[in-house]
Amino acid sequence: MNGHNACIVVEDLWFQYTEEIVALRGINLEIPDGAFVAVLGQNGSGKTTLVKHFNGLLKPTRGRVTVYGQDTATLPVGRLARTVGYVFQNPDHQIFCPTTREEIEFGPRNLDLPPEEVERRTEEALEYFGLTKHADDPPALLGFGLRRKITIAAVYAMRPQIFILDEPTTGLDWRSSMDMLRLVQDLHRAGHTILLITHDMKIAAEFSELCLVLRDGEVLLFDDTRSVFRQSDVLRQSQIEPPQILLLAKRMASLGMPDDVLTVREFCDAYVALRRSR
Amino acid sequence: MAFTSDLYVERESWVHEMDPRVKVIYVACGVCAVLLFHNIFFMMLALLASHLLIFTAGVPRDRVTWVWKQMIPINILIPSLITLFYPQGPVLFQFLFLKFTLLAALRGVALALRLDAIAFIVFLWIFTTDQTKIIRSFVRLGLPFNAGLVLAISLRYIPTFAGLFTTVSEAQQARALDLSRGNFIQRLRQYIPILVAMIISALRTADKLSKALESRALGARGSKRTYFRDIAFRPVDYIYLSGAFLIFAAAVYLRFVLGVGTDLVNPLP
Repeated sequence: MNGHNACIVVEDLWFQYTEEIVALRGINLEIPDGAFVAVLGQNGSGKTTLVKHFNGLLKPTRGRVTVYGQDTATLPVGRLARTVGYVFQNPDHQIFCPTTREEIEFGPRNLDLPPEEVERRTEEALEYFGLTKHADDPPALLGFGLRRKITIAAVYAMRPQIFILDEPTTGLDWRSSMDMLRLVQDLHRAGHTILLITHDMKIAAEFSELCLVLRDGEVLLFDDTRSVFRQSDVLRQSQIEPPQILLLAKRMASLGMPDDVLTVREFCDAYVALRRSR
Repeated sequence: MAFTSDLYVERESWVHEMDPRVKVIYVACGVCAVLLFHNIFFMMLALLASHLLIFTAGVPRDRVTWVWKQMIPINILIPSLITLFYPQGPVLFQFLFLKFTLLAALRGVALALRLDAIAFIVFLWIFTTDQTKIIRSFVRLGLPFNAGLVLAISLRYIPTFAGLFTTVSEAQQARALDLSRGNFIQRLRQYIPILVAMIISALRTADKLSKALESRALGARGSKRTYFRDIAFRPVDYIYLSGAFLIFAAAVYLRFVLGVGTDLVNPLP
């Protein structure tokens, strides 16, 4: 990833939970500023452990993590929260306020912003995520999809440059997942760096620019999404199957189909082009 | 903490293989024996004995460290409060109305050590007995099955809620909640977002768990419960049981007939 301005630099990162459990083993990587990165790997591969180093929730056992040049080991989580927004996997681990509005206000208030700025950011977050009509509802009683949206809106209101989303589509139906991911994509288009932990290869293929694949606490692959999914043999080492549409295209390679399509749209375009050429 | 679902440590040791009912009796005898004595050296002895048993059972060191971490507040609060508010014997020095005495400090330490010893005796039992056997042992000792299940579930959820506290705390800190800011009262208030989120999560978990148990026919009427794995006494368990009663009888004899261990510092009468 050399040649880009890196927002996160990881140098020889090791992390041990206990003497026996080594979660990360000598990770080296640079996350380019403004990138959309899908973090992939099977359960226990170290995805969440790695990203928790980016906002200082975990401190390296060995090695160094810097965010915009600042060593995360020397900064409190609250300070890093201004730059790195972390949306946890389970919204119930975050929600505690009597209304959605107060839930979203919580983060900006912790940043000691003036009341009018807190209000402005809260209203903007409510509108951006389509939550205005639920602003006075108790968030804990809303449906799972809405609770998930609230947690992202709550982090959005803090205006971090980097968003880390830990499996944001788990438990959501396809339409809700797509709605959610389009909002995330809009954040990316607005210049934010996105790190998305996911087990859904279709989502990774469709939305991310880069894929970081972890296996047993080590980086297996870190490259642009198309290159990563082309290496299906390497991916299998991490129990990852490329998206079905790519597998179908590979099977049709003898007919002249390109073997690196990532989305259904790309497949259709390639198929139409193929038919026309014949 | 790396373990979040169950405190039980699967190993093959003589403690693991002991009949769970005998272990319950050992816990009861052990706790009563510790309560009989007041001497600080006896407390240390009980603590040492419980540690030896834990290590012979193959319980990893990080579990022992975890128990000590849970005991930190008790080990700080009890000696401090007793030293500050329950002065006994000659006064070493005085600050305003607070009198510092060596006897009170030692009494506080002895009491904390007693609670540590009790905790380790109980955790030895929990670390070496799986939930099913805990329930079976209580039921075979006469407890209704549902009550045994409630007890087992409570024990099983201790590490789950400890893990939940960590996760919720991380989630709120990621929203710039600073738990170290302000004076004591302000810091306590910072914990409100964590506690409320934990209560909501705990209620959801309880609701889901009760539905899961009901859907697996817990409490079904008109049928007698059968057990896939039952527990049975082996000849060696009778020897262990005799050992438990002998230790308890010896403790009673030492304490009430010979008067050993009544003094805080001097172990002999």
